Amino acid sequence: MSLQARPGTDQPAPRPRTTLERFDKVERAVHWTTAVLMLELIATGAILYIPSIALVVGHRGIVENIHVYSGLALLLPLIVGVAGPWRERLVRDLRRFDRWTAADWDWFHPKRRPRAPLGKFNGGQKAEAAFVGGGMVVMLATGVLMRFAPPSWINWQQGATLVHDIGFIAIAIGVVGHIYIALNSPEQLKSMLTGRISRSWAAKRTPIWVKEADEGKP
Amino acid sequence: MSDDDHNDDPSDDDRTEPAPSTHVGRRAVLGIATLGAAGIAFGASIDNAVGGTLTRISSDLGGLGALVPGADEFRIYTVTGSIPIISPASYRLTVDGMVDQRLDLSVDDLRSMKRTKLVHYFQCVTGWRVPSVHWEGVRLADVLDRAGVQRGGTALRFFSGDGVYTESLTISQAQLPDVLVADRMIGNDVTPEHGGPVRLYVAPMYGYKSIKWLDRIEVINEVIPGYWENYGYAVNGWIGGSP
Repeated sequence: MSLQARPGTDQPAPRPRTTLERFDKVERAVHWTTAVLMLELIATGAILYIPSIALVVGHRGIVENIHVYSGLALLLPLIVGVAGPWRERLVRDLRRFDRWTAADWDWFHPKRRPRAPLGKFNGGQKAEAAFVGGGMVVMLATGVLMRFAPPSWINWQQGATLVHDIGFIAIAIGVVGHIYIALNSPEQLKSMLTGRISRSWAAKRTPIWVKEADEGKP
Repeated sequence: MSDDDHNDDPSDDDRTEPAPSTHVGRRAVLGIATLGAAGIAFGASIDNAVGGTLTRISSDLGGLGALVPGADEFRIYTVTGSIPIISPASYRLTVDGMVDQRLDLSVDDLRSMKRTKLVHYFQCVTGWRVPSVHWEGVRLADVLDRAGVQRGGTALRFFSGDGVYTESLTISQAQLPDVLVADRMIGNDVTPEHGGPVRLYVAPMYGYKSIKWLDRIEVINEVIPGYWENYGYAVNGWIGGSP
């Protein structure tokens, strides 16, 4: 990570580092393994769900098994991430996702003057986290019912199929939106790749987090 | 844990003091999970109630219609790379194994036998269902009578024209009146997508038992599990778990 010189800005005393660590290795590993699983599940799910693609690809037995077993693995990166002694940063960020301040609600009204400064994540990011987190649980539960429920649970299975189908469309839209926003936020995308983000960006967008980071809770 | 009140003091000028927060994230996750659970519990009733409407919406949408969840439409499954295209003129259904007389039945042979019509749903094991499907063909029992099952012939093995898929039934299951060797469905000759020219339709069992592109029926002396059954699906695929 190069230290960026910021000519023209009016910062008094230059800080030792012009970047902050936004995501540690554990968080990035959890993010990217989950991302790869998620994209693969969407691809195999599309093959299983959309008839015109199913007809071109065929091989339903193989595709179904890839989809089912990678689906069972979907929460593993997150579970491993919070299970070990390396959990500190990840757990702290999960708590941040949980807690909404007035600033997070105001984020959805860009024209209104925010009632409070933003923390590490904004309302949109927190909403996405809750949506993906709840969505993964629902897709896992309904998927297990579809594949492994005993035959006498047929009504629940039919319900699970309906939920899984709706969930597929919702999550596919959510993931496309997530990628679209990431590509339009190069500084944040870079932080998920390298872990670091520029202090000046953070000071402007997430002032509370900069303070927390300086107090040793990045 | 912070309190649940997020009143903000407008006179607070320290713009880096954390504001009071509420546990919205975990509530949202729990809310989504609750919605999902409600969908599992009541989805079948909702699906059955609105399936017809969704089917009309789905067909109005043309190509995108396949994305509408809950529509009463067949999903076309193949376990090989393509749909076998089998000419009805050259098609022959072989019945062999422990039989008095091997059969090679053409579509015309089937049409000259005693015909049976059924209106019955098609239920996939993964949960989707197509109500009121019209089926027409010859009872499997009549085909077996014509071949003459020998003593000790207690099971059937079915082979698909796709070269991969197989299925199984016991002889007593095969004798049920709603098990058809079907050459017509939904008012037409069975199309290649649905397993034409000839497929099996086992009304009391899940769809995977109704083998498509039926090519050969072998009479044997014990059940050999079929394609999906080797992946863990029930060999006796009764809908709801019992006949």
